[in-house]
Order: sequence, then structure tokens, then C-alpha cells
Amino acid sequence: MVFRPTGHSRTVCCSALLVALVSSGRCHATPPGEEFFERSIRPTLVERCVACHGPKVRKAGLRLDSRDAALAGGTDGPVIVPGQPAESRLIAAVKHGGEVKMPPEGKLPPAEVAALEKWVALGAPWPAQSALLPPAKAEAVASDHWSFRAVKRPKVPGDGTGSPVDAFLRAKLAEKNLQPSPEADRRTLVRRLTFDFLGLPPTPSEVAAFQADKSADAYEKVVDRLLASPHYGERWGRHWLDVARYADNKGYVFFEGKDYPWAWTYRDYVIGAINRDLPFDRFVMEQLAADRLDLDDKKSLAALGFLTVGGHFMGNVHDIIDDRIDAITRGLMGLTVSCARCHDHKFDPIPQADYYSLYGVLRSCVEPTVPPLWGTPPEAADSKKFAGELAAKEKQLTDFVLGKHKELVTQARARAGDYLLAAHAARNQPPVDDFMLLADPGDLNPAMIARWRAFLETTRKRRDATWAPWHRYAELPDADFAIRAATVAHAETDNPLVRAAFTAPPKTMKEVVERYGKLLAGVEKAWTAAGGKAALPDAASEALRSAFHGPTSPADAPLALDWGFLSLFPDRATQGEYQKLVKEVEAHAAKGPPRAMVLLDAEPPYEPRVFIRGQPNRLGEQVPRQFLKAIDANRKPFTSGSGRLELAQAVGSKDNPLTARVFVNRVWMHHFGRGLVTTPGDFGLRGDPPSHPELLDWLSAEFMARGWSVKKLHRQIVTSAAYRQSSLARDDGLAADPENRLLGTQNRRRLEFESLHDSMLAVSGSLDTTVGGPPVPLFAGRTRRAVYGSIDRLEFPSLLATFDVPNPAATSPERTPTTVATQALYLMNGPFARDAARRLIDSPAVKGAKAPAEKLDALFLAAFARKPTDAERTRLLAFVAEGPAADRWLDLGHGLLMTNEFTFID
Amino acid sequence: MLPFTRREMLTRCGTGLGMMALAGVTADDAGAAAPAADPLAPKPGHFAGKAKHVVHLFMNGGPSQVDTFDPKPSLDKYHGKPLPTSLRTERKTGVAMRSPFAFKKYGQSGTEVSDLFARTAEHVDDMCVIRSMYADVPNHEPSLMLMNCGDGRLPRPSFGSWVTYGLGSENRNLPGFVVMCPGGYPIVTTQNWRSGFLPGVYQGTYLDTKHAEVEKLVAFIRNVEMTPPRQRGQLDLVKALNDEHMAARKADAQLEARVRTFELAFRMQAEATDAFDLTKETKETRELYGDTTHGRQLLYTRRLIERGVRFVQVWSGGGQPWDNHDGLEAQHKKLAAEWDKPTAAFLTDLKRRGLFDSTLVLWGGEFGRTPVAELPALNGRDHNHYGFTCWLAGGGVKGGTVVGATDEFGFKAEENPVHVHDLHATMLHLLGFDHERLTYRYAGRDFRLTDVHGRVVEEIVG
Repeated sequence: MVFRPTGHSRTVCCSALLVALVSSGRCHATPPGEEFFERSIRPTLVERCVACHGPKVRKAGLRLDSRDAALAGGTDGPVIVPGQPAESRLIAAVKHGGEVKMPPEGKLPPAEVAALEKWVALGAPWPAQSALLPPAKAEAVASDHWSFRAVKRPKVPGDGTGSPVDAFLRAKLAEKNLQPSPEADRRTLVRRLTFDFLGLPPTPSEVAAFQADKSADAYEKVVDRLLASPHYGERWGRHWLDVARYADNKGYVFFEGKDYPWAWTYRDYVIGAINRDLPFDRFVMEQLAADRLDLDDKKSLAALGFLTVGGHFMGNVHDIIDDRIDAITRGLMGLTVSCARCHDHKFDPIPQADYYSLYGVLRSCVEPTVPPLWGTPPEAADSKKFAGELAAKEKQLTDFVLGKHKELVTQARARAGDYLLAAHAARNQPPVDDFMLLADPGDLNPAMIARWRAFLETTRKRRDATWAPWHRYAELPDADFAIRAATVAHAETDNPLVRAAFTAPPKTMKEVVERYGKLLAGVEKAWTAAGGKAALPDAASEALRSAFHGPTSPADAPLALDWGFLSLFPDRATQGEYQKLVKEVEAHAAKGPPRAMVLLDAEPPYEPRVFIRGQPNRLGEQVPRQFLKAIDANRKPFTSGSGRLELAQAVGSKDNPLTARVFVNRVWMHHFGRGLVTTPGDFGLRGDPPSHPELLDWLSAEFMARGWSVKKLHRQIVTSAAYRQSSLARDDGLAADPENRLLGTQNRRRLEFESLHDSMLAVSGSLDTTVGGPPVPLFAGRTRRAVYGSIDRLEFPSLLATFDVPNPAATSPERTPTTVATQALYLMNGPFARDAARRLIDSPAVKGAKAPAEKLDALFLAAFARKPTDAERTRLLAFVAEGPAADRWLDLGHGLLMTNEFTFID
Repeated sequence: MLPFTRREMLTRCGTGLGMMALAGVTADDAGAAAPAADPLAPKPGHFAGKAKHVVHLFMNGGPSQVDTFDPKPSLDKYHGKPLPTSLRTERKTGVAMRSPFAFKKYGQSGTEVSDLFARTAEHVDDMCVIRSMYADVPNHEPSLMLMNCGDGRLPRPSFGSWVTYGLGSENRNLPGFVVMCPGGYPIVTTQNWRSGFLPGVYQGTYLDTKHAEVEKLVAFIRNVEMTPPRQRGQLDLVKALNDEHMAARKADAQLEARVRTFELAFRMQAEATDAFDLTKETKETRELYGDTTHGRQLLYTRRLIERGVRFVQVWSGGGQPWDNHDGLEAQHKKLAAEWDKPTAAFLTDLKRRGLFDSTLVLWGGEFGRTPVAELPALNGRDHNHYGFTCWLAGGGVKGGTVVGATDEFGFKAEENPVHVHDLHATMLHLLGFDHERLTYRYAGRDFRLTDVHGRVVEEIVG
């Protein structure tokens, strides 16, 4: 994670911009007028004006997408007189004061009108460097960005001898007159390799064997041994689980149980896939669409946990999907697509429409409450009985939810009049679509009222011919409704059925509601009578029917509303019933065999529309479910089910310029302590460029050419002289390359929390090396590897946060290392290190040694894989002699586990 | 002395930019004890702010403004009858409900406060009562998140984390951000004080103040097996081994930094024990606060502030105590009685010790309550995010003022509405930050506490 201290950039990406801006990102003082423009004017121009007065459409010859164009005015002359709002036709138009009323669909909010007036009075300040670029140009800038260009295999520099990795690195070092460092000693090397690959220390005998092995391929043999170890998958699986925001529960939820009883099947899938060197492209595809692939082993369905082990965000559907989009794009491709949830990405070529293309894919998927079994169920009779009971409970739940949904949809049609009236009454109330609202049984559903309200609002803005009469009446005040209604004139363009219904003027708004209600009911009846399938032949009737059916209908609510089932049944009684049913299913299923946390395609797929400013009730243009244009200029709309399989293929494609590069960079990061790109989660325009672009590309090309084999990639990297060199700092390097980005030495690295935890157990001889299985609580005397500890997303242990384990709230591209006293406090006073020390002292090798010097040797071998120096021996034996032997040996052993030597890898 | 300049040491961190940048905000000490990367080192803000510390008294559940700091006599008139206008909140509400508590004018400013906070009200001339607060939704979870983390739903860092990130801590022997809540967590639990995407060192350290013994309050603060001299001996040994290890490796800021944390941790044990040892206070002071949970919490708070802790958040209790949908009169009376005396004592104590001007105190809940009652009974109020009251005191706040107003019934903020983002922006301003420039780069964006919102409410600033 790149840490920017305060004040580096004042640009925050969220004012609603439709086009990408080019920003220096550097700290600069913004003149107040320009700041005012950025804050109060630009969003208005972009959202309300440039669609008609911009580069594509220039109504009245006017463009408002740059200061020059705006000041030039339109076919009727200037519209802005800087400093003179009263003289400016733009201001008159937005005040709806004269003949020209802008925007035509309705007056701007008073605050925006006032802001425009103030802006003109200020002289219409407009920052020069941020002219609204036409999107095509922004895309052109971006397509030239290094990470969006196809991966090409560069020529390896030098004479072709040695590792290509070294050839690339040495070329850069030579530019600064630097040399690589000599190879580290064998003890250091085997420690480095073992921690890197297994997250565990080498045993003393492994160290000794490597030191004694004089064969030419001694080093390669160690690498092969480590890559073949089942513990390799545990170590690298944990790296991956950071990306997958793995946790064993959902976070804060209302009525379901909070646990994921089978998240671990995903964790075990990851460990297994890594251990058997599943090609990385396949690994990616399985995690996105295993349900749609031919699997050798049905257990691989658990791969879908990548999508489903994220948080539940209190059940908010949009946030759950946002988190999945983030994991897919930032986690797998280093792209910050979720920035485009509310507006076009400010820096990268990700239009908001592309976000909703992906949203549409994920919204078209469902998670079964009872997912499929993980592997083959046992054939025993009691398992059949169990399955039967579970199916019965599940059916109860499903029937209940589907019944409630049907009830809601039916009621939304049957009581359309009531909903219209409620929506009308709420029209001037603050919006409530973002609440979790409670109601009494039998009441109108608040979420449904909000849908009708949004529907009416849309018809008003679009001047919908069917609803135009409604809006004419809706504007009238209650007090003299009847008098004014009599004068309302209807337009020729109005829906003829509606116009006919209002030949006689209504006396109250209620009467308007009743007439619309009657019309809607009549059309519904006619349609049902006609079989309830095809569209009605009469256009006027069909237009009315769209209020009840189809993608824009408020009544046709999807099963998953904003707040999930909370919106579906907002009364406490029904919620209680639901809670009981869902918990029965969950509790029963949890007692049975493990299941794979799958995501499945729903039928029919959801047809996404842009949510304006990210607000679900403000629907914008319809977009296809498809991939990102920035990555695939020739993309086509997805056609198969939700499109998730096609998405998976696009992410895992050789033609995807990001997937291989991002992963290769991660592997490099874990071998050198830092990636070639130091922003592993952001390969976009604001990310840091690679220190060695050719090396990154060569490795990526090689990685794909060798069948996306991760183990081959590891070998490529760790057999290089660069990896094997000493980590001792050198004066010339410090002067010429203080950050060591050129890698004139290896980097010294601190053990991550999991390795520290596991190493303490390992050296004390108490590590349980069982691979896989359900999670266990961490600590409390447990001796499994930390990767098997259960992770609580809601109450994420502060101890883990203290040791920089990333919070599983979102995908984590890298850990932020901190060095703080609370870490030391835990090691000094917590029972974990102390107990490990006690077992270390009691281990046969230490306990069996009689003479203090031998005991000390045994301790050092276990902890550091070396013998003490003379100076250390003298000091430590003196320490032991100073007090009661048992206490002293324990304090000493405990002390060794706290040293830097134990915690750092040279 | 190490043969390195500070810059060289910092940039040698193999852990990369993260560590380096953390170090980049470290004070530029010279000499042998040159600090390596210390994310908690004190840092200046963007400009000199009056406030150096924040104390947030969190009335979780949502206290009723019309029963505490926002008198609405019109409710008497409408008691038992529907209001002319009513707004949709979480549950169905019905008729107006008058306040069962009497209001009185206090101080020179004459600000009206109900009997519930009669003692606290004695400080009203030093308080700024914001009667026009508003939030986004009438539900606890998102409102807690908004008040604490600046966003209702998405996983963002807490206010305390931002402040600690921005200013560091003045006492490296104590956590920079301390959270006290007696008897368990509030709802949504530790998310209320998470560090989110900020480094873990900025998260709030939670203390269950149901306990009074330091070893139960602070995790791992005491070694149960070793006496301090014995532990000192052990740490000296570790230090010697580490020194030899470092000598063989040239200087490395990471190694150096870790060695230092053990010294810090050792001192922290004594410092923390001392900070929570109330026997060090005079009898008069202890009696001023009262020997109750909240009395103890607030006395701890003062002792922590005095020792340089940056941000202290004190909660009413586990769950949501102020959420009085029914039985409001009795419940509010009980809760206010628990808080009133210690709060007044705390403000008095800050003033007499010269800490008041540098300590920014915020009192309030995640939202307020409706002026209308929930049906069918007429004895409780629903959640209300449209309008509620918070007050600020100390730390550069303009005392004796009332900012904004709700409508005639206390339902909706009407005059000078102050959104939670505005409150955050203003508090950051008092701490010396331009809220638009206190940023952190994460996932391709520069995030801030106030997202794209927030304005500094000038009427609050003294």
C-alpha cells in the first residue's frame, strides 16, 4: 500500500464527473474561484448540461464543456457575461425566468442555480488545465498507459548467459555504476527459501544437509523440495486469502446467522490448487465461474468462495456486489473499477457504464441458502435422512420467501392506487430509499412505495406520455385542486386512454389516483385474459401495462431489493418468522457434511442500468452485461446466462494485459519484499510505474508461455543471482539507490504474523502440521498453523490488526508493515510466546542436553539454525548462572523468540 | 552513533514505501537516538489548531434532543395529537409527545437545558450546542458508522484513527486512540473504532471499563510470571543479542525500530498502570467525579488526555442504552443521572488543570429521537436523523453559543443545518486540519474522513 502522508494531493475522486480529468496529482494551491468551480459548478455542468451542450450534441450551437466554448456562446450569441449574472442568458435560463427554460426537464435545485449565479458573478473562473476532455481523447491517453498495452516479450539484454532475470536487473544497475551483491551464505539461503515458500523455519538438519551438499544443483534441489511440500500451499494460500478478503463470517447481519460454516472449503481449495500448481489462468476462471466449467473434481466448486466469502454489508445488495467487483478488478487486475460506482473513473478509462456492466453480471447471480455438497456425500442411510430433513426445511424457507415476494408483487399491482397515493404523498418528503424501514403487517411496503415514487419521478423527467396528465394534476395544491384541475389542458401526445379517462376534470388528487388505478387494472385484466404472455397489440394499453411488468415497472420488484429481505418483509412479525426459518436451515445444514459456497446464474439475467450517482432509485441508461472496454476494445455483450463465465474467460485471458502482470508482480513482491510495481493493487494511471518494465513483461510473457505455471515462475525468480544475493547494505548502493529499487542487494524482511506464529510453534516442537479442515480458534493453546485460524470479520481481533494482518473488509493487495510497542507487549507478556518457550525448553534436544553449553547450543540450533558465537555463549551462560536455573532457561528461551534474529529474514 | 543519516536509515527499509512514508512524517530528531519509522510520532497539522485532543462522549442509541438540549414548548400544545407534518422514520409513529422534563435557562448565555443535565448545564457558557445536526438514515448501524467513520456502510477508518494518523500521539507509552465502553461492545462492535485501510496502529484500543483493575482493562499490560526487575533482566539480554545482530548487519531502520518498541513496551507497562491508578487522585477529585462507572471512565479520560493520548471515546454502555422506544422518561432519567455529574466534573477538572482549551469535547449520539411517540403507547420515541443535538466544548469552540435550530417541533434541522460531515470537518479544523487535505491513498483514490462532503461551520469556531 502506498502511504501518502497528508497534503500530497487534494484531489479526491468523487465529484460526479462524466469524463476523465488529467490531474497532476501534485500539491498545489487552488485559487478559491477554481475551487468553487470544481466543487459547485463542474458537477452541474457535467450532469445537467453537457449531454446537450457538449462535444457530441451542440443544441443551439452552444457547448459548455470548456471555458472558451462557454464564453463564445451559441447561435444566438453569448450566454455568459463574466461578472454580470443579470446580463447572462445562462442565468435567466436556469432561473426559468424567461422564454428559455433550462434544463428543459425541470428546474435545477435552488442551490445549483445560486451557485451558477455566484460563479458568473466571480467572473466564471474555470481551471485551465482541466478542460472537460472529450471521452475519446481520455481513452486515447489511457490506452497508451503501460499496463493497458499488450504484454510483449522483450529481448533479454546481455550475452545470453545466466538468468534473464539477472540480465534485466544488471542492465539497470550498470546504469548507476552498481554491481549486484555476492551470494548469501548457505544458512541464510536455506532460511530465506524455507520462509519464503513455507512460512516456516528450516529444521537444523535441513540446514546442515544443504550446507553439506556439494552437488552443483544443491540449491535447486532445496527449491524443488520446498515446492513439493504441502506447506507451500499454506504459505502462498495465505497470501492469496488477503486478496480474497477471506473470513469465516459475514460481518454484521440482521436475521441470518453470522457464520460461514464452510468458508474453509474455499481456503482448502486455494491451498490445494496452489500445491498442485493449477495453472493460474484456470485458477482465476474457477474462482469466478467454476459452476460453468467442466471440473475434474466437483470439490473445485468451492473456488467460487472468491466471490462469496466477502462481507454481507448488513444485507445491502449493492454493497455486496460492489465488494465482488472490487475483488475481481482490483484483486485480479489491479484496476480500481469500484471508483466508477457513482461516476466515471476520474483517472482510469473506466466509464460508469462499465461498472454497471459488471454489476449486471453479478446481480444476475444467486447464492443458494443451502449450497451443494463439497465432494461426494456419504451413501449412508442417515445421510439420506439428513438430506431429506434439510430439503424439507429449505423448502419451507424458499416457499416462505417466494410467497412473500409474490405477495409483494401481487399487492403492488392490486393496490396500485394505494401505492400511487402513498408515493404522491411522499413526493416532497426526503428520500427514504436508503433506509431499512419497519412497517406493520398489512401495511404498504415502504420499499415498494419508494419504487413507485422513483417510477413517477422518472416518468416526470422523461415527459412520459402516459403519465403526463398525472404530473399536471400532481402539481396542483390541494386547497383549490378542483378549480385548477378544470383548467388543465391535455396534450395531443398524451396516451389516448389516459386522455379519455380525464375528459371530465377530477375534483381531487385521490380521484386522479382512482382513475389511473382503474386504467391499470383494466389493462392488467385484458392482458391476463389474453394469456398473460405477449405484449398487448394496442400501444396505449401496452404503455400502461409497463407500470406493472417489465424492467422499468415498480411492481416487478426483484427478489433481492436494496436491503435484501429486510425490504421484502418490513414488519417485525414476518422478519421473526423468516429469522426462525433461515436459522433452522442454516443450523441444520451446518451439522451436516461441508458444502461449497457457490454462486449460480439466475434466470432470467438482470438487465443493468446505470445508477445515477450510484443511487439505485435514480436509473440512467441501460447497459449490456459485458467486459471492460479499457481492457478489451473489441468486447461484445455477454450472451451466456449471467455472463460470469465470459467474464472469467476475459479476466483469465492471455490477451488481458493486466492479469498476468499483476500476479507476477505479487509473486515478485513476496520474494523481494516489494513489487516491481509498488502499488500492487493499482496498475492504473495513478499507480506507480514499474521499476523494471521489461523484466515485468518478460516474466509475464514467460509465465503465460509456460502454461501459467506458478511453480515455474517461482523457480525462474528464486534461481536468479538477485534473489540469492546477500541482504547486507552497501555504501555505494545506499548512495546511488537509497530505496534499493534496483535490487543491488536482497531486502531484509520481517516475518508476517502468520509466520511468526507458526515459527514459534515449530521451534518449540509443537506445531500441528495437519493440512486443511475446518477452522480452529487462534491461540488458546491451539497449535495449528495460523492460516487455519478462524477469522471474525465483525469483531476482527485487534491483536491481528496490531500485527498488520489486513482487515477482511475488502481485498488487500499488500500488508502495511508497522513496528509498534503493542507487538512487543504481546510477545513479552502474552501467554503465546511464553508457552512456546516453555515447550522449547522441554523439547528433547534441549532437555536432553546436560551441560549448560550444550543446552545453549540446542536452543540456538532450534531457534536460529546456528550455534552461538563465543561472545553470545559467554553472555548467555552468565545470565543463566545468575538465578534459579529453570527460571533462567525459560527467560532465555523466551528471550530468543523475541529477538530480531528470530523475526527477520536476511 | 550510527553511521547513517536519518534519511538513509529510513530509505533502507526493505519493506518499501509504506514504511518509508510512515517514517516520512516523523519529527526530525537529530543525534544518536534518531527515530526510525514511528507511525505514532507527533506530527503537525496543516495549521495551528487549538485542540490537541478529542474526547467523544458517545450516547449510543440516540438521546432525545427535545428532552435534553432543544426545548420545544409547542409539543405541549400538540401532546397526544398528530403534528401538522410528520416525517418517515424507522418505525411507525403517531401523535406528538411532550417532554416529561422541565427546561431552564443557564449561564450568561441563557441557553435552555433540561433538568436531565442540570449540572452539565452549569458549563453552558463554555459549550456550543448544535441544535441542527442531521444524518442520513434513521437506522442505528449506518448512523453509528456515519458518526464514527464518515460513511454509513462502506468500511472506512474511524474518526479517532484519522486524527491519530494525522497528529500522531504525544505519548508513545500509551495507545494514541483509546475507546472505553463498559459491559461489552456497542452494536456493530469494533467497527466503530476500526482503522479500516489506515495502518492497524491507528485503530482504537478498547477497554471494558466495567473492570477497574489495569490488567483486566489493558491486554497484556502486565506479565503474570515475572517481576519487573526480572523482566528488565530478560529484556537487557534480548537487547544485547539484538545489538550484536545489528552490528553484524550495518544499520537497518527496521531492526532499530523493533528494538525500540521493546523499550517502549516496557515503559508502557508502568505508564499504563499509572494512568489507570485512580488512587493517585485526591479524595476531593474522586468525589467530584463520583465512584461510578462513568465517574471512573471520565477520570481515566482526564488522566489519559493529561498524558498526551490523542483521542478518547467514551460510550454509554454495551448495546444501545439510549434507544428508548418506550419507557423513555425513566430510561433517559437513569442514563442522564449516570452521566450528568461526571460530565460536569470532567469539564470542571479540565478547566482547573488548564486542559480545557486544548481538549475538544463532543457529546452526542448517532442521531436523536422523534418529537412524536411510537404507537400505541405514548411513552417512547423513534430514531430521528432529520434533526438532533450535539454539543462541543473546549478546544477552540465558541462557548455560550447555540448553532442552528430545528423546526417548531424539533423534528428536522431547519436553520443552519449541520450534517455529520460538517461536524467532522469543523472538528478537524479545530485540530488544525483542512479536512479536504487530510487524505490517504488507497485503492486508487485519495480518501478522506469527509469523503466529498463537509464544510467548516464557522459559527462553532471561537
